[in-house]
Parts: sequence; C-alpha cells; structure tokens
Amino acid sequence: MDHIAGRKSGLSWAVHFSALALVIVWVLPTLGLLVSSFRTTDQIRSSGWWAALFPAVQNETYRTADPDEARVDLGDGIYLVSGNIFVEGGAAANLDEIVREISAWGASSRAIDAYQPDEVADLGEGETLTVTARGDYEWRGTADQIEGRGARIFVTVSAPPDFTLGNYQNVLFDPSNREGMSKAFFNTLTVTIPATIIPILIAAFAAYALAWMEFPGRALLIAAVVGLLVVPLQLALIPLLKLHNDIGIGKGYLGVWLAHTGFGLPLAIYLLRNYMVGLPREVIENARVDGATEFQIFTRIILPLSFPALASFAIFQFLWTWNDLLVAMVFLIDSSGETTVMTRQLVEMMGTRGGDWEILATSAFVSIAVPLAVFFSLQRYLVRGLLAGSVK
Amino acid sequence: MKRSFYASAAALALSSGMAMADAHGGLVFPVGEGDFNWASYEAFAAAHDLIGQTVTISGPWLSPEAERFEALLAYFEAATGADATYTGSDSFEQQIVIDAEAGSAPNIAVFPQPGLAANMAANGLLTPLGADNAAWVSENFAAGPSWVDLGTYADQSGADQFYGFFFNVNVKSLVWYVPENFEDAGYEVPTTMEELIALSDQIVADGGTPWCIGLGSGAATGWPATDWVEDLMLRTQTPDVYDAWVANEIPFNDPRVVEAIETFGQFARNDAYVMGGAGAVATTDFRDSPAGLFQSPPGCYMHRQASFIPAFFPDNTVVGEDADFFYFPAFAEKDLGSPVLGGGTLMAITDPSDATMAFIEFLKTPVAHEIMMAQGGFLTPHSGVSLATYETDTLRGQGEILLNATTFRFDGSDLMPGAIGAGSFWTGMVDYAGGADAAAVANTIQQSWNAIK
Repeated sequence: MDHIAGRKSGLSWAVHFSALALVIVWVLPTLGLLVSSFRTTDQIRSSGWWAALFPAVQNETYRTADPDEARVDLGDGIYLVSGNIFVEGGAAANLDEIVREISAWGASSRAIDAYQPDEVADLGEGETLTVTARGDYEWRGTADQIEGRGARIFVTVSAPPDFTLGNYQNVLFDPSNREGMSKAFFNTLTVTIPATIIPILIAAFAAYALAWMEFPGRALLIAAVVGLLVVPLQLALIPLLKLHNDIGIGKGYLGVWLAHTGFGLPLAIYLLRNYMVGLPREVIENARVDGATEFQIFTRIILPLSFPALASFAIFQFLWTWNDLLVAMVFLIDSSGETTVMTRQLVEMMGTRGGDWEILATSAFVSIAVPLAVFFSLQRYLVRGLLAGSVK
Repeated sequence: MKRSFYASAAALALSSGMAMADAHGGLVFPVGEGDFNWASYEAFAAAHDLIGQTVTISGPWLSPEAERFEALLAYFEAATGADATYTGSDSFEQQIVIDAEAGSAPNIAVFPQPGLAANMAANGLLTPLGADNAAWVSENFAAGPSWVDLGTYADQSGADQFYGFFFNVNVKSLVWYVPENFEDAGYEVPTTMEELIALSDQIVADGGTPWCIGLGSGAATGWPATDWVEDLMLRTQTPDVYDAWVANEIPFNDPRVVEAIETFGQFARNDAYVMGGAGAVATTDFRDSPAGLFQSPPGCYMHRQASFIPAFFPDNTVVGEDADFFYFPAFAEKDLGSPVLGGGTLMAITDPSDATMAFIEFLKTPVAHEIMMAQGGFLTPHSGVSLATYETDTLRGQGEILLNATTFRFDGSDLMPGAIGAGSFWTGMVDYAGGADAAAVANTIQQSWNAIK
C-alpha cells in the first residue's frame, strides 16, 4: 500500500511542480512589464525591475550652470559659479525635495569617483570645484577658466525608488502623442465587442438546430462545420477582401466584424452543439409535450443551461479578436490612420520606439489589461464549458 | 523597413525645423537677403518666362519635407510665372509605375533610390536629361562622376543615358562621439583609418572601450553591419570593385569582399573593442547602442552610424555640443581618396515639356539648393552653394563631408535585390558577428544570390 501511495504522491508532486513552473514562467514577465510601466526612464536604464523597490546606486552626469549667465565676480579676477546639480538637472523640484545622496564624484569622465563629498578638486592653475553630498557645488577660477559651457560633474549617487504615473499619462492621455494608445484602445473595443457577440448569437441558434431539430442533411451539415475547422483562415483573406471591395463594404469596421464572425463560427457552432447535445433529452421532450415552441425551448431552457459553454466561447473569441493583427491589417486598417488597433500600434512602436522600454511596457500593459480582467471574471466558466463541450 | 526607420527618424529629428511663416509674399526667405546666391536666382528669372505653363512633380516626400519643397517651388513660380505643384504619396513607388504605364505621369518624379528609376528607364518611361546635364553634374557636384554614374541607366534599346538628377542626399560614413570625453582623455579626432585604429588601441590601453556596435533591429536585424561592410569596401577597394560587387559581377565570396567583412570583424569581433564584448554586437538593438557614449563612465567612445541616429540619443542631447561626429576616415596608405557612403533622392523626367526642362535648369542654380539647405533636412553635393546657408552646424559639417568626397556610393544593400540586400546579407552579417567564418558567410550569401538569378 505504501508503495502505491508513494507513487501517487510522486506523480502529484510532479503535477504541482510543473503547474508552479508554468505559473512562474507566465507571471514573471507580466509582473516585470507591470513594474517597468511605473518606472522612470533613468531607473529602467540603471537597474532591472526586480530592484525597483531598493535604492539604486547609479552613476549620473550633471552640468553646472552656464558660466556666461551665472558667474559671479568675486574681485581679484576670480569668478564663482554655484548652485545645486540636482535642482538644475531636473532630478529634484527644489532644494527641499532632494532625495539623492552623493557618495563620490569626479570632474572628468576618466575618473568619475576621484573625490569625496565636500572635497575640493584642484583642476589646475587655481581652478577649483567642490560638491557636497546633497549636490551643492562651487566652481571657482579666473575669467578664462570659468567660461564656455558649464563644467560636467560625474556623481555616484544613491537614488531612492522612484515610481511614476507619467508613462500612463503619456500613453493614454497625451493628445499630442501620435503613438498614444487611447484611440487604438477604443478602436480595438469597437472591433472586439461586436466581433464577439455576433458569432455567439448566430452560433447559438445554429447549434440548437443542429443538436435538437430533426431535418434532412443534418449530419452532413455538422460534418461540413467540423471540416471548416481545419481550413486555415489565411486562405480566405484575399478573396474575402476582394468580395468586400466588390460589394462596397471596403475596409472598415463592418468588414472586420463580418470577417471575425465568419472565421469564428465553425468553432463556435461545434463547441456549442456538442454542449447542447449533452443536455438531458427528458427536459426538452417534457417541454415539447407541454406545448412549448422551439423558440421557447431555446430561450427558456437551452440558453440558460448552456451559459458555461457560451461564456467559454466568448472568452476565446474575445481574446482572439483582441490580440488579432492579421485580420485587422487586411480588413480594417487603411492609410487614413484613423482605424489603427492596439496590436498594430505596438508593432509600429517596436520599430520607432524599440529602445524606450517604459513606453513599450506601458503600452503592452494597456493592451493586456482588458483580456486579463475578462479572463479573471469569467475563468470559472472556462474549464467547465470546455470540458462539457468536448469530453463526454 | 530600413528606409522607413530613416524616414521616421528624420521626421522626428527635423519636425522642429519648419517654423518659417510665409511672411515674404509666399517666399520663405526674402530675395536679396542673407548668404544666398541670389545672383543665380536673378539670372535664372531673367532667362526664363513660362507664364501659363505648368510643371507637376510627384514623389515620396510627405510632411515636413513636402512643405519645404513647396517653399522652393514658390521661388520657381515667382521667377518664371509657371505653375508648379508637388504631390506626395505614401505609396509613391507603386503609384508612379501605374501612372507612367497608363500615360498619366507627372512631369517629374522624385525617386527614393535608383533601382526603380533604372527599371522605368529600361521600359522607356523616362526621358534622358542629355549629355550636357551629365557634363554639368560631373563638373559641379563634388565626386561628380559618381553622381553621373548613379543617374545613368540603360534605356529601352540598352544604351546608357543620363536620367537622374540627385537632389537631397544623406551621409552614412559618420562616426559619432562625445567631444568632452575625447577632451577629458586627451584624444584627437582621427583623420585616417590608421589613426582611427591606433586611437581604438589607445582607448583599450587606457582601460576604456572604443566602440558601441549594435545590429539588432527586429525583423531587419543585421542591417547596421551591412553599412559597415559597404563603408569598408569603399576603403579597401576601388569604386569599380564596389560597383561590381553590388551588381554581383564579382561574387559575394570574392576574396576582396571577404577582406572587407574581416576588416569589420577587426572592430566588431574584438572583445576589447566593443562595449559588452563581441557577443553583445548581434543582440544589442541599434537604437540602444549609442547609449554607451553617454554613460558615466563612458561605455564607449565612438559609434559609426548614419546621420539619423541623433533621434535615438538621450533626451536633451545637443548635437554639436554634447555629441558630435567626424568622417569615418579612409586608409592613408590605400590612396582611395575620401569615399562617402550614403543615399539620396533623384529627380527624373517622366513627361517632358519646356517648363520641365526649365525646372531642371532651376535645380542647377545654387540658390535652389540653398533654399532647401536653409530649411533643414537637406544635404547637397553641389559645390557652388554657400555653406553658410545650412540650417545647423551639424548639417553644415555633413555638407562639408559631401563636398570633400572624392567618391560617392549609394548604400549597396539598397541596390542589391531585396532577397539579398534586405535578406541574406542581413542574416549573414548576424551569423558573422556571432562567430561564423567570413568566407562561409560570403558563400552562403552568394548561394542565395545564385538562387534568385
């Protein structure tokens, strides 16, 4: 007995571990995306998202104020430029909000940690520079030395975690951002919602008829629907677009709704029919005996009982249309630029903004937020509906 | 793909330049003021009277280039009385073929690269500009014969004719650096390839890393290396060899091509030379690769890339102060002059008329180039222009490189068939950067070229 129990527990451990591994594989990148979308450009450049909660030691470069405007004549031919690098460099709004602390600094890119805070650096021929731990600097020298551009100051600072909503502000609400996601977000919704509802409506009727109404050729029709499942949709793209152009639909929302409906229907009918066939025959025959019409049976009995299957197909269809790029490119997106969807926007951004991780992470998170919400709110129907539909 | 990067980057970088209002009777710069060569304008105006005639031009330029070009057309209209219109199209390259075949072509078409113009010339859809104009370009453009060659294609009967007049070019043979980092370390800008290699070794000896190289570009990964190899071809071989290579008259696995690839390897496959080591070259995104220039301490000191790259520098980087460029120099010992790699747009006549010929005459005046230069986003090899009219010092510096060029060659990968220049050449260079043998990579590319012949 022990032997058998041990084997069983070994298998369940394996299942548990692989489930855990899968969860980690999926959750980690998503979490990284989420954390990155709230970080500033500087932080992303200096440390990974897993270090987001800890102070980061980073090397930064600042510049003193422009000597031509800011230098003060101290007499005896000596000039002074003073100020605070963090305030002037934009790292702090004012002197009271400085959160960084300098641990070492330098005046040359060759030796960026040559001096301690408060140490006076001798830059040769009487020119001196000193920087305090909170970034106040004083730069002294003759008129010839204190001129031109501001001196560069290289600092090693410890910067506290810095989170921002600015990325979302930029991506969602900045009207001047040509690469913004807000319009694409609503366009995607405009594509997705009808493209989910229309096939479900049609498929539910069709599935009922194929499952419970007797008519000649029913088996052939079911076989045809199953056969259509294996036809790749790429095959139909060009002929369908030609047809759309010929009958005057052209490229637009109507076209993309019809295309998604057509491409989604075989699976929808197949899933729903299999589910409905499994409903107890007695219930339906009782209703018939009691004088219910086919339509009443459908709306009063079949639909409520089929809710798990409807929901699971709705999730499928929603996710597939939400993440779709190909069908949208073919049937929707034209040169006007008004009908772009989020997937297309992300692809474009990979090209033009490939280095700006904060923008990419934020945009990607905007695009996965809705599917995540849909999935979590409907996921309890998913497994039930799937199993009931396919496994008997 | 590659071209669209340039275009979007250029639009980003230059969209600030178009703030001039039509305050001078529709002309952006008042006639007679500034460093412009107004004498050439007056002379042109006196010699041409085209009232009632029209010139139509179509091309790939969209906003803001289209507005700048229309500002130039206003001068042509003011000088001649003719009516000139420009239409820009996103799908120009398809559009112009359809229009020309159907007989409804504009007078002048602006081609983004020579390949399409050569095809149309072979189909008899272009009108030659004539030997006089070829001689003029040869005489008045820096590296003139190069420009004539680039604009000369076989006509319907197979005879070579001069068709394309280059107007607006760009420069790829640039090395970007941070002047203050050079100052801190006491480095001088190298003027020969020998000095450049010596400087790289010096930087390594000083404990630094000389180069940032990144080949990553999504589906187009590898293209920055093709520019390197093309530049090095021009610096190790004569222009004739380069032309033969681009046309596949010498095979890709010719020892001279392999030598250029291996010269690239001296930079990119040298762990001490490249930030992150040779292994990082193929995986670093080309947009991220210049970031090393601006790190503290410097991650690298030099970055070879075309003129569009400042769009990918950190925010608030002032080109000319925080970052600058120098000419990617040639070997002094090879005596190949100063070759420049680049790209450009060319004008060709698709429907001849008197006013159209007058417009080509107008393009030969220095002032036509200066008006474009002063609006930004425009470089010219015309040696008669006043460099003072360039909008920025950066453009002026690139303009000088063009004028000092003894040879100009078009980006070879753009001239090769798409399956090579935007396919096996890219992937081959990624393999090479990853450690594959240069000769083996060249063999593979040549095989893919044989396959499409």
